[in-house]
Amino acid sequence: MSNGATFDAVEPGDDLPAITVELARDYVKAHASEIGMAFPRFTDDEGARKEGLPGMIAPGNMTLALLARELLAWAPGGRVLRLGTTFRGLALAGGTIQLLGTVTEKDDARRTVECDVWMETAEGDRCVIGTATVQLP
Amino acid sequence: MAFADIDRAVLGREYDRLTYPPVTTDELISYARTLGVTDPIYLEEDAANKGPYGGLVAFPTFVVKLRGNQHMPKEVAREMSAGGFDAGKDIAFGVPIRPGDVLTATSTITELYEKTGRSGSMFFVVFRQHLTNQDGETVADVDSRIMQRGRAPKEG
Repeated sequence: MSNGATFDAVEPGDDLPAITVELARDYVKAHASEIGMAFPRFTDDEGARKEGLPGMIAPGNMTLALLARELLAWAPGGRVLRLGTTFRGLALAGGTIQLLGTVTEKDDARRTVECDVWMETAEGDRCVIGTATVQLP
Repeated sequence: MAFADIDRAVLGREYDRLTYPPVTTDELISYARTLGVTDPIYLEEDAANKGPYGGLVAFPTFVVKLRGNQHMPKEVAREMSAGGFDAGKDIAFGVPIRPGDVLTATSTITELYEKTGRSGSMFFVVFRQHLTNQDGETVADVDSRIMQRGRAPKEG
């Protein structure tokens, strides 16, 4: 916990460390099943194609959770107070994505920061974008 | 009937309430593990006991697992039957979830709106799940935004 972001050390404009995640099919399928979303589009390529998708994708609820994972990896002693996301594009299973973010504001009274966070595909598409409020130690 | 004709009296009316079985340690750990969380405060009871919460807590987005009996009220679901998709979520987190918590979710529609873009009309429904624990404390407010593209009006 000692190596994480702290309120005093963070400034607007700081980037969160990028995290690269391989969206392996087994990983997506296992987490989709865990959250009760074992639907064809999240569990196999063939099922996804039948629904008109190019292949199996990660559920929005998984991509949102990965952004929370990014925030808490950056600030392990912190608390995510709010996380808002827009699912703009497809996070295709089998690909690699990056979780990125930047600090946009600092609230001295609440010891919180506002962050922009997003998930980017290998092609550079921001398939999920969001904002978060994080209380830092 | 069309999306615009949905009686706005539906807004803010509780249409679903569900109390879940007590949360278990195993399900909290399983959620964090399958997501790929590596911080031991979400994975190991010993580490969690020494951590900031003094015990194991849910990784915050665990709340997305908790679904109600009824996704939307009937009069809204009927107009979204062409297969809406999840356009986004906004979650305000309250107190952490701990093993043994008995959680209750109540659902309301908070917004109904239409947008017109280059590809035509898009209809949006926002529903909120208000999650509380056995002490009446707010665990989370989860707002889900469901979008459906417009359909041509039916003949006749």
